[in-house]
Amino acid sequence: MAGVSETNVQFWMNKAVNWGEASSCSALLDTSRHLGPLRNFLQQILQGLQQMNSTSEAMKTFPFVGQFLGRLCWNSCVTADERSQKLLLRCLSCLYSAEPLNAVERKANMWIKNMLCHLISEEEGSVAHATVKHAGSTPMRYHTEALQKVVSLMVEEVSKSCDCLPNASARCSNSNIHTMSTACIALVTCTQMAPLIGALLKHSESCGSSCLNQEFINEVGEAFISKRLVLEDEAVISLWCQSALSLEGAAVSLLESVLSDHQLTTQSLDKHVNDSLLPQASARHCHIFLTVSEIYRNVLTEIDENLAIRTLIQVFTVCFLQRLTGQNSQDRLPLRAFFPNVMPSLLSPLLTAPSEVPREAWLDHLSWITSLLQSVTENEEEDVRAYQPMFEAWFLLVRCGYWVDTAVELLVLAASGNTEALLWLLTFFHHPTNRGHQRSQQTAVAREAWTHLRMLFLNHPPPPRHLSAVKELLSSSSISANLVLHLFSNFAVFSHGPVSIITEISDKVLTETAVRRRALWILASIRCRLNSASSRDDRVHSRLRTLQDTLLQT
Amino acid sequence: MEAVLRHLNNILELLAVSRTDRVREWDRPTTQRAFKWAEYCEQLHSRYQSNPTVRSRLESGLTDTNRRLRETFPSYSPVEFSELAQCQHKLIVYLLRNPSSPHFIIEMLFPDQNSPSQELLAPQNSLVTRKSAFSLLCCTVNTTSSYYGLQTEPEVRGKLLGKLLNSILARPGNEEHAKCLLDSVRCDSAGKVDGFYDVIAGALLCSSDESQRFIITWLKESDGGLNTFCTVISPEVCAVISRQSPEFRKLYWGALKQWASCLEYDVTKSVWVTSEGAVSFDVLADRLRDLINSGESLKEETETALKALTLQDGDFSVKGVSVWTDLTLQLKI
Repeated sequence: MAGVSETNVQFWMNKAVNWGEASSCSALLDTSRHLGPLRNFLQQILQGLQQMNSTSEAMKTFPFVGQFLGRLCWNSCVTADERSQKLLLRCLSCLYSAEPLNAVERKANMWIKNMLCHLISEEEGSVAHATVKHAGSTPMRYHTEALQKVVSLMVEEVSKSCDCLPNASARCSNSNIHTMSTACIALVTCTQMAPLIGALLKHSESCGSSCLNQEFINEVGEAFISKRLVLEDEAVISLWCQSALSLEGAAVSLLESVLSDHQLTTQSLDKHVNDSLLPQASARHCHIFLTVSEIYRNVLTEIDENLAIRTLIQVFTVCFLQRLTGQNSQDRLPLRAFFPNVMPSLLSPLLTAPSEVPREAWLDHLSWITSLLQSVTENEEEDVRAYQPMFEAWFLLVRCGYWVDTAVELLVLAASGNTEALLWLLTFFHHPTNRGHQRSQQTAVAREAWTHLRMLFLNHPPPPRHLSAVKELLSSSSISANLVLHLFSNFAVFSHGPVSIITEISDKVLTETAVRRRALWILASIRCRLNSASSRDDRVHSRLRTLQDTLLQT
Repeated sequence: MEAVLRHLNNILELLAVSRTDRVREWDRPTTQRAFKWAEYCEQLHSRYQSNPTVRSRLESGLTDTNRRLRETFPSYSPVEFSELAQCQHKLIVYLLRNPSSPHFIIEMLFPDQNSPSQELLAPQNSLVTRKSAFSLLCCTVNTTSSYYGLQTEPEVRGKLLGKLLNSILARPGNEEHAKCLLDSVRCDSAGKVDGFYDVIAGALLCSSDESQRFIITWLKESDGGLNTFCTVISPEVCAVISRQSPEFRKLYWGALKQWASCLEYDVTKSVWVTSEGAVSFDVLADRLRDLINSGESLKEETETALKALTLQDGDFSVKGVSVWTDLTLQLKI
C-alpha cells in the first residue's frame, strides 16, 4: 500500500481515537511525546496520496485517511507543531479536487474547507468565539497576545517554583515543570515561547536536578543550532549543562567557523570566541570546560599541524582565563580542577599571562617553563607510560601558546648567547614527539633559520643568500615549515630594521597562498597577545599592519 | 465621511456576495482585490473605533445598509461596525464555507512552501499555530489562579477583555459602547453561562479601577447577572475579587445575605434546607470561610459582620434558630 503498513495504520488510528478531541491534559501530553513518529507516519501518508490520480482513488486506497486527518485537526498539539501542521495541510491539499467529478469528491472538498475553517476560527456559540469576535482586532493579533499572556503566566509559575524550599507546598513540585516542558515540545520554534523556554532551562540549572522532559531538551538544542530559536546567553549556558549534544555542537561549530572563514584572521578573534559564549560557560561550569578541552584534544591528535586551530585554542584559553579571574574568589575552583591531567607544577607558570610578568623577567620565566617541560620529556624514549604526561604537557603549552609567542619575540631581539632554551621551546611546540631523535635535528634547523632571519631583517638590501635559504626552509618539503614561518612572522613584526623591507622580503619568500594564509593566523595570535599587553607599542602595531596588508594582497 | 460610508457599503455588499454562488466567477486578481478592500476596511475600523461621534454615525449608516442588503440577499446576516475589525477573517470564513468558492482559495490561504508565493494574502499558518499553541498551553498548564478555581483560559481571555475595556473607557463618551460590548459577548456565548462569567472574573481581576467598577455596575444592572456570577464563580475567586474591589465586596455580601435568608431549618432532620437549585448551607459556609481566609482585613470585616448579624437575630447560642449563629458555629469562630 505504497509504504503505509496496516500495522501502522491500526496503531495510529487507535492513538487518534484515544486522543479523542484532545481537550484533556493527558491526551495532549501523550500526543506531545509521539510527535516525531507521528510526523514520519504523516510523511508516508503524504507520499502515498501524492501518487494518487484522484481523490476517489485516494479514498479507495486509504479508506482511513479522512477520519484520521479529521481527528488530527482537532488535536491542538498536532496543529501547534509547525512541521506536523504543514504535513497535515499538505495531505488535505492532496485530497482536494480542483475539478470534482462526483459526489464523493464534492463532499470531500466541502469537508476539507470546513476543516480549514475550524482550524482558523472557534465554534460558534462558544465563549471563545464570542470573545474573539468582539475583540476589536484581528484573530491573529488576539491569539498572539493571548499566547504572550499565557507564556508570562507560565514564566511566573516557573520562577515561583525556583524560590521554593524543598519542603514547600505541592504547587512548586517538579512535576509541574516536567509537564510544562512536555507541553512545549511542539512549540519550541514559536517566537512567543522564547521567554518560557529560557525560564524552563534556567530553572533546571538553579534547582540542581533536571526535571525537564528529555525530548524537550533535544528539540531546543536542535532548534538552537539550526538557528530557528533565539535564546538569551543565560539560557544557552543552561541548555549546554543539560544537553551534551548541544554543547559539543557549539564547540565543533566554533572550530569549523575558524577553518572555513578566512576573514577571521583579520577581525577580532577574541570577540568571535567570546560571542560563542563558550569561555563564559567554561569558567562557570568545570564540566563544560572539560568537555570542550576533550574536543580540542581530539582535534589536535588528528590535525595537529593546523595553525588556525592552534590559534583558536590559544585565544579560547585566554578568554576563558579572563572570565575565570573575573569570578568571585569564593566561587572559583582551583586550576587543578580544570586541568586534572597535567603535572601540577606546570599550571602556574603557563597559566600566568605574559602581561602579568615584568618584561625583564620573561627570559627567566621561559627558562623555568622550558626546564619543566624538558623534565617531562626526559623519559619519553624509555618509558611508554611517559607518553601521556608528555602529551598533556604539550597540550597545555598549545593552549598557552602566548608563551611560545613571547619566546619567539625574545628570539628576534636576542643575541646568540641566551637562545638555547627559547629555541628548544619553539621546537617542542612544533614537534612534540622525538621519534628517531629528530628533536636535535629540528632544533638545529630552528637555529639555522634564526640565524638567516637575523641577517635578512637587519640588513638593507636583504642579502640574496639568506633570502634563498629562508625560502628553502619555508617550502613544503621542509620538515619545519611552520616553525620557520612562526619565526619569520615574528621577525617581521618585532625586529628593528626598516619597515619597507617587510613587504620586499615577504613578496619574495612567501609566494604560496597556503603559506600566506597560515602566516595570517600567526599574526592573529600575535595581535591577540598584543591586545592584552599592558602598554601599546605603535611601532610594532604598524609593522604588523604592514605585513598583514602584504599578505592579503593576492 | 460620505466617502467612508460609501466604502463601508461596498464592503458589506462584498461580504454578502462572497456567500453566494457569484464567487464562482472570481479569478485570482478579483479575489486579491476583495481582500485588499477587506484590509482597508480594517484600517477604517481602527481609525474610528474609539471616536464616539464618528463611530455612531458609521454605525447608523451600516444599519441602513444592513436593512437594504437583507432585502437583496435572502440569507444575509447583519454585520456590525465592531465586526469590521476582522473583515479579512470574515471574508475568509465566508469563502471557506461557500461550496462555490474558487479552488485556488486554499493555496492562497495555506501556501505550500514549495509553491511560488505571489499572493499578497496573509497566510493563515501562523494563526493556526498560535491559536493551537494557546489552546494547548491552557489545557496542560496549572497556574496559581487555577489552583484557586479560575482556569488559565478564562483568566487570559478575561485579561484581554479587561485590557480592551480599559482602552475603550479611557476615552470619554464610550460607556454605551462598552456596555454593548459586554452585552454582545454574553449574547454570543449563547447560554454557556459558566464559561462567560469565568471570563468576566478574569477581567475583574486585572482591569483598571474604572473598568472594574464599570463591569460590576454592568453585572448589577444585568438581569440576574450578579446573582448568577456569585453562584457560578468559585468561593476563592470571589474572595480575591472582594479583596480588590470594595464595590464588589458590598454586592457579594448582599448576595450572601440574600441566600442566607432563603434557608429554613428542618427540625426533623436538624439541617438547614433550601429550595432546589438555591445555594445550600454548606456552600454558604464555604464561601464565608474563603472570605475569612483571604487576608487580615477581609477576615476582620467578615467576622465583625457575622457577629453583628448574629446579634441582630437575638444572639442565640443554640442551633436551629438563627442561620447566622449556625454559620458562625460551623466556621468555628
